[in-house]
Amino acid sequence: MVPLLIGISLISFLIIHLAPGDITTTEAGFDPKASEESRQKLRELYNLDKPVIVQYGLWLQRIAKLDFGTSFASHQRPVFWRTKDKDGNITPGMIQEALPITLLINVLSLGLIIVIALPLGVVSALTQNRLPDRAITLFVFVGFAIPGFWLALLLMYWTGVVNDWLPISGLHSQGAEHMNWLAYAWDALKHLTLPVFISALSGLAGISLFVRNGMLDVLHQDYITTARAKGLPENTVVYGHALRNALLPLITIFGLSIPGLIGGSVIAESIFAIPGMGKLFYDAVLMRDFPVIMGILTIGSALTLLGNLLADLAYAWADPRVRRGVMQ
Amino acid sequence: MVYMRDYFFSVLNSNRVVALLLVTSLAACGRSPVDQVVNYDIEYPPEDGGTMIDATRGEPGGLITMIAGDAAASAVSQNIFNSLLRYDKNLEFEGELAESWQISPDQRVITFKLKPDLKWADGKPLTSADVLFTWQLLTDDKTRTPYGSDYKLVIKAETPDARTFRVTYAEPYAPAVNSWAGMDVLPKHLLEGQDINNTPFARNPVGSHYYKLEKWRPGEQISLVRNTLSTQGPARIDRLVSRFIPDEASQFLELMANNIDTMALSPVQYARIFPARPELQQKFALYKELGNSYTYLGFNLKRKPFNDIRVRKAINYAINKQELIDGVLLGMGEPVASPYKPGTRWTNPNLSPYSYDPARARELLREAGFKDTNGDGILERNGKPLTFEILTNQNKQREMSAVLVQRRLKEVGIDVKIRVLEWASFIGRFIKTGDFDMVLLGWQLAIDPDQYAIWHSSQQAPGQFNFIGYKNQRVDRLLERGRMELNPDKRMKIYHEFAEILLEDSPIVYLFAGYGLQAMHKRIKGIDNPAPPKGIGHNSQDWYIPRPLRRTEISQ
Repeated sequence: MVPLLIGISLISFLIIHLAPGDITTTEAGFDPKASEESRQKLRELYNLDKPVIVQYGLWLQRIAKLDFGTSFASHQRPVFWRTKDKDGNITPGMIQEALPITLLINVLSLGLIIVIALPLGVVSALTQNRLPDRAITLFVFVGFAIPGFWLALLLMYWTGVVNDWLPISGLHSQGAEHMNWLAYAWDALKHLTLPVFISALSGLAGISLFVRNGMLDVLHQDYITTARAKGLPENTVVYGHALRNALLPLITIFGLSIPGLIGGSVIAESIFAIPGMGKLFYDAVLMRDFPVIMGILTIGSALTLLGNLLADLAYAWADPRVRRGVMQ
Repeated sequence: MVYMRDYFFSVLNSNRVVALLLVTSLAACGRSPVDQVVNYDIEYPPEDGGTMIDATRGEPGGLITMIAGDAAASAVSQNIFNSLLRYDKNLEFEGELAESWQISPDQRVITFKLKPDLKWADGKPLTSADVLFTWQLLTDDKTRTPYGSDYKLVIKAETPDARTFRVTYAEPYAPAVNSWAGMDVLPKHLLEGQDINNTPFARNPVGSHYYKLEKWRPGEQISLVRNTLSTQGPARIDRLVSRFIPDEASQFLELMANNIDTMALSPVQYARIFPARPELQQKFALYKELGNSYTYLGFNLKRKPFNDIRVRKAINYAINKQELIDGVLLGMGEPVASPYKPGTRWTNPNLSPYSYDPARARELLREAGFKDTNGDGILERNGKPLTFEILTNQNKQREMSAVLVQRRLKEVGIDVKIRVLEWASFIGRFIKTGDFDMVLLGWQLAIDPDQYAIWHSSQQAPGQFNFIGYKNQRVDRLLERGRMELNPDKRMKIYHEFAEILLEDSPIVYLFAGYGLQAMHKRIKGIDNPAPPKGIGHNSQDWYIPRPLRRTEISQ
């Protein structure tokens, strides 16, 4: 895994340095009051005047000690985790602040996807090509195809402006710091409702169709016919025998979605004014804030590799056939 | 992959305002609003208190402007820190921390006398030592600021006593006065011995202006609370809250739902949505102020045929500026003929923009030797067709302008292609290398008239701002003289002449200057309308929110 990580980081590093411009062109880059000499000074401070491969070497040296560095942007905040200076002042890390929010939204929406998509998929499979199946397929595809930002705005208008049901954007209401914890949590939950719903909607289609097709495959297997033939109740056949086997491939899907958990959506985060990972990454790319870009990419690729590993292990745990394969 | 998809959607995003229009026209029924009972239009006596909430698109990096340098940072810190001088509502200098300032007869020494009994928000006295300390920080080589150059021209800075600050320049430097209106004075007693580049003070500042920081919720909002020790007297409104809402459409929804009091509007919102919705007009007042920038079409003067003044003038005559203002800004802007704010003293009132005159344009091009020899509608000279590329960055207004320009130039026989680029690539790949025909960009309508960095022929190296390669010895001399002259009236004459030559030379085509458009909830009273040159914010300390109109706040 380590050589793979180094390879990924080298390629990402080279690619982001291929893009023209650096932090000095984006930050005060077009302000006549800012002189070229001071920009050159900044370039030297950040080692941006050195060859790319030397810069990569310096970065690798730091990352080997798990030091993600500080942002190039003016505030110089630590990229990953908080630091404490000699006077005991704590500066929180950028990823440290953005990650929990994105993680929370993505875990909630993944949960929502599972809770909704599983039954939908099963019902679809059981009523194959009949009305419920058609209706469900249509629904999930519309959900998949609908532009998220558009639906988000419509819902924000309907639930926030026309009716006073949900807050429009942000994470907390004004004065949230004075609420007791229950009111605080309820307030946060109301703020999260729309973002979670919107991000779950586009994920429904994939999972529910996966479950549907998996179920269909399994329902046509001989052992299901056997189960039915020996007179088992239909529920036992469907949920005890068919579903359990149909769910196996989902392990792969969830394994692969682990890195997705830390990646937020720029659009959703901008519209809902949520300070998450997507916005952080997008802004960093526009600003050419290399330490932040590399920090997020490194953590993302490490999690991808970890997700793959976990999926493989989970497979072995869930499926005796795979386990036997590993033993031999 | 997630990011790729998002990038793709971000392209779709530019249509979001249109989507919002659709949305808002869909549902005409409003919620049953309690606040409609309140009449916002009657007079209320001024009183203290209340909270004003606004929205900004970006979050400040920190609140020390010399380091942060972003617009979001200065929007917040202008309420926290003072400068020695400031601009009054007509954009003339007046003292802020300084009670008076004197320029020596040889124009090389400026002496500032501070007001008596100035205090920091933490109660410590604010003296000339703080001013000197701030200057030292700005000019220190270890400070990572792009703004040091103006201040490095000071050869001697001294504090004869606690209320006097004196700077000496090697030779007279007119923009110096402006620079002292732009330096936020920082407290020495809190910053001494700290590394200014990453001091926690940037996120927890102590200033001397109307407000002080109450709480900064990262990624969400900054709230300021009234500073009772303010050097400028008390402000009326108790709390200012700035929420970070990156998306314009979401800001507008929050405004409609009465969750924010003010936001900057786009021309579509100002000129189309508001007039169509009486319930919005009932709650919000609209303000229009002079914009801070102008949009222009710049030629690469080092390339043929733009070194030929006839071609530049022809293009200037071929473009219909009023059409751009009507089409792109929905009428919310005005044409300019000099790089200064219309209506201020630096603008030469005798200048008017090139008229729209396609016949004249064709004639000038013919004089320059261009003829349509092969009958394809595009002019040629020596067998080479007149065809260029306009470069611009991802900015809806600029893209739309480029399309209108393209069409008008086609009518006089010039074939134009448009290329839209992301900002950093645009600057890094094209501007710095000088690899472009025409650019469609904007410059600030700066308050100080010195534009040496933009127009002087010595400022053409990669990374400098005369990237169009403008060179005119008369302009060079005027710009040099303008920098040496501190008398405003004499300065004015110099820059009027400069603007005249610039217009005649036509190195760029001034397209338009858009207005700053603002919606403000009617609960905020005491705002000047129409806005003076400085904009409506010039007396924000006197704005007030009458008690009956306040938003119900969560009980504490």
